[in-house]
Amino acid sequence: MTSFLGRGPRVSEEQKKRIPPGQYFTEKWPVLHYGSVPRVDLKTWDFKVWGEVDNPFEFDWAEFKQLPRKPLHTDIHCVTRWSRLDMDFEGVAIQTILERARLRPTARFVVIHAEQGYTTNLPIEVLDDDDVLLADIADGAPLTPDHGYPLRLVVPKRYFWKSAKWVRGLEFTQVDKPGFWERYGYNNNADPWKEERFSE
Amino acid sequence: MPSTGARADEARAEFRRLIAQPGHATDNARMAMETLESALEEAVLERTPEIDQTLADLRLALEQDDGQKLGGKSAEAARFITRRLAQLLDEA
Repeated sequence: MTSFLGRGPRVSEEQKKRIPPGQYFTEKWPVLHYGSVPRVDLKTWDFKVWGEVDNPFEFDWAEFKQLPRKPLHTDIHCVTRWSRLDMDFEGVAIQTILERARLRPTARFVVIHAEQGYTTNLPIEVLDDDDVLLADIADGAPLTPDHGYPLRLVVPKRYFWKSAKWVRGLEFTQVDKPGFWERYGYNNNADPWKEERFSE
Repeated sequence: MPSTGARADEARAEFRRLIAQPGHATDNARMAMETLESALEEAVLERTPEIDQTLADLRLALEQDDGQKLGGKSAEAARFITRRLAQLLDEA
């Protein structure tokens, strides 16, 4: 049994229940970012974890590839109103990073830092979820440059701008520091099921 | 203290005119950014940390490497950021 949401491909009743209000279903994976796609050299790439942690650390690409791996089957929702269902990511569970960093009790928020100075922000309770991943594989293949090669965060329970592409570090903070889009009018919480798109 | 005088008022008005004029948001934002940077360099308007940060964000949003198209969110980012800059100019 299929139904149609007005545009895009047909979706089943089961799939419809997984599409938040105001979203449409797509089988494509649109590319949305600002500026240029960064050119990344894995020889010089690194990832830093710092701030309100007892064990700040960094790793290079070879070290990242040695970390325990986790698959993730999930749906993603973009603030620009498309939703893509049944995506398969693979990478490192955020809990692997959190355990190694040993968060202090004062760590209440995280600023996600990416190439070109892009940032976004989350409360710890949103970051520390079973479906949050540092992903380098999507649908069985390495991320393409325009989808975040070599590494992106995946936070399925928030609009996808929180799932920063080209991610390079996590800064744990006591206070919330709005990220790029959050500073300029996007909603700080970004829950697609509450349609938290804009701050005004 | 915000800058005062005719030149400061003109610089603020010109920035707001450029971002409101017909045309593509990224083109308008580039022109407005150049105007504002000139006004700041000439001390017609005074820098603030937030204006510097916001201008840096705008440069990133408009950055276009050789052979690449601007990202699909550049126009939206340019609109959002220039709108914020227009507000911040009252403190400049």
